[in-house]
Amino acid sequence: MKPTKGENIFHFLVVIFFIIASFCTLYPFWHVLMYAISDPKASMGGGLFFLPRGFSLYSFELMLQTKGIFQSYVNSLFRLIVGTFIALLFTAMLAYPLSVRRFAGRNTITMLIFFTMLFNGGLIPNYLLIKQLGMLNTLWALIIPGAISAWNLFIMKNFFQSIPPELEESANIDGASPARTLFSIILPISMPVMAAVALFYGVAHWNSYFDAIVYISDPKKQVLQVFLRGMMNVGSLSEVKDVDSMAASSGTVTEESIKMATIVMSVLPMLIVYPFLQKYYVKGVLVGSVKG
Amino acid sequence: MFTATEAVVRRRKAWGAKLGQFRKDKFLYLLALPGILFFILFHYIPMYGVLIAFKKYSVYKGFMGSEWIGLDNFKTLFSTFGFERALRNTIIISLYQLIFAFPVPIILSILLNELRHALFKKFVQTVVYLPHFVSWVVIAGIMFAILSPNTGILNEIARFFGFETPNLMVSKAYFRGLLVVSNIWKEAGFGTVLYLATLVTIDDQLYEASKMDGANKWRQIWHITLPGLRTTVVILLIFRVGSILNAGLDQVFALYNPQVYEVSEILDTFIYKIAFENARYDLATASGVFKSIVGLVLVICVNWIAKKIDSESGII
Repeated sequence: MKPTKGENIFHFLVVIFFIIASFCTLYPFWHVLMYAISDPKASMGGGLFFLPRGFSLYSFELMLQTKGIFQSYVNSLFRLIVGTFIALLFTAMLAYPLSVRRFAGRNTITMLIFFTMLFNGGLIPNYLLIKQLGMLNTLWALIIPGAISAWNLFIMKNFFQSIPPELEESANIDGASPARTLFSIILPISMPVMAAVALFYGVAHWNSYFDAIVYISDPKKQVLQVFLRGMMNVGSLSEVKDVDSMAASSGTVTEESIKMATIVMSVLPMLIVYPFLQKYYVKGVLVGSVKG
Repeated sequence: MFTATEAVVRRRKAWGAKLGQFRKDKFLYLLALPGILFFILFHYIPMYGVLIAFKKYSVYKGFMGSEWIGLDNFKTLFSTFGFERALRNTIIISLYQLIFAFPVPIILSILLNELRHALFKKFVQTVVYLPHFVSWVVIAGIMFAILSPNTGILNEIARFFGFETPNLMVSKAYFRGLLVVSNIWKEAGFGTVLYLATLVTIDDQLYEASKMDGANKWRQIWHITLPGLRTTVVILLIFRVGSILNAGLDQVFALYNPQVYEVSEILDTFIYKIAFENARYDLATASGVFKSIVGLVLVICVNWIAKKIDSESGII
């Protein structure tokens, strides 16, 4: 059917709205990037709108020399890679049996897991448990307790349920063990949901910081976000000792620039992975979350 | 009529069948075992740990050795300086988020659904999802840069038009507004994912038919799109209301500063402080228990109301 005149006007306004919305979403990122690649002395005066003032990678250079930043970056990468892998493995291993209809007790187990979404012990009981388990001050305290998120588990389980059961049954008849069925039959055809859930776990690992503040006190084991937060909050780099001598000549000028450079570096891994996984997750979440 | 023995035989057979099934599927259980143990260890044991709230907890005596004191911790908690303020801030911030931030993804997804050019739609979606993937710490940094009274772009624009803006990040009057706006900026786009997933399930023929009957865009949205979204909205609303005492720990903890504690100290930050700065594990646990129970009761109530209105909706 041909759109009416009113519909055309409506559509035009919606397009204008989304152009403005997209600009408002992207501009802050652009601003930070421009700040980071500007000449630190020139950007001090502010007024950076669309283009960098001068061009210099000096902020990045200083940032890389900031004490502790490299270690925290490595810690975050470890958390991201190992944490996401473990989470995917554990979640799939539980989601699969829960998706098999003949599995006795699946409703009870599902209800008990669902209940954990509504009620939890809270900060202190969790903290004391981690302490009891001897995981305080280790990166495992950030990886193991979050190995399965109930939300992601249900997304995966629903996706597995949408796979025709005949597939699983025939594998069963051919004598494949459940583990084998899961890893060589179910998982290869579940790429959309695996990619979506991997993205969710990955983003959570990369961006979380409160658990790291609570469980980790040793600066050598700290993650990047906590390091970054310290940088923002201190409001001065005097705590980051190595930079002092270098930045002394330019004073607080470089301080903002270093922050911006660190932000750019912290967002980078996400920006690299995001476009590749993006096409999967809408599909994965779609099948996994809408009950059909 | 069954005789008693027949009933017993039947029951045994049923159990036998179950046991047989269990044996046949033992590898399936083995596969699920790590996950089940995970939930027991990291979710149910901490639930047991909430009993600390009813004990006078001493680090030296430990969980078992500490003595029971009934509800004393709760009494102390409610009269502790800062608790009332934290509770009030939590509820105010949560209500702001509920009223102003909750509807935005719904509106966005309805508008996104109206876009005709597939490529432009894809571009917009990619862009508006983006902030979701950035941490609150980074967003705090970006906000400091943009809102800074000296070099910030916002002030630059304001100055151009001849007025000065206050430093919003440390302003008691604006801080809660800032929380809501930044939350919309970060999460509203991504919040559309679930709604859009629901929208694709609406039959296109409904729109065609309503157009035949002369319905304009507003009527189509009102009579087809919105009813189609209802179930999803209700489910998300129940979760949101249930977590009314969660005012967004990650966000507040990244953005707030001593100048605005007065308006932004929430229960979660309060719990963190009494636990790790004052070393009162028992009081902090009591505060957590209070939070969890209120949340649970609210979820059950809202779910009950939703079911009364429409028996199809609800989460439980």
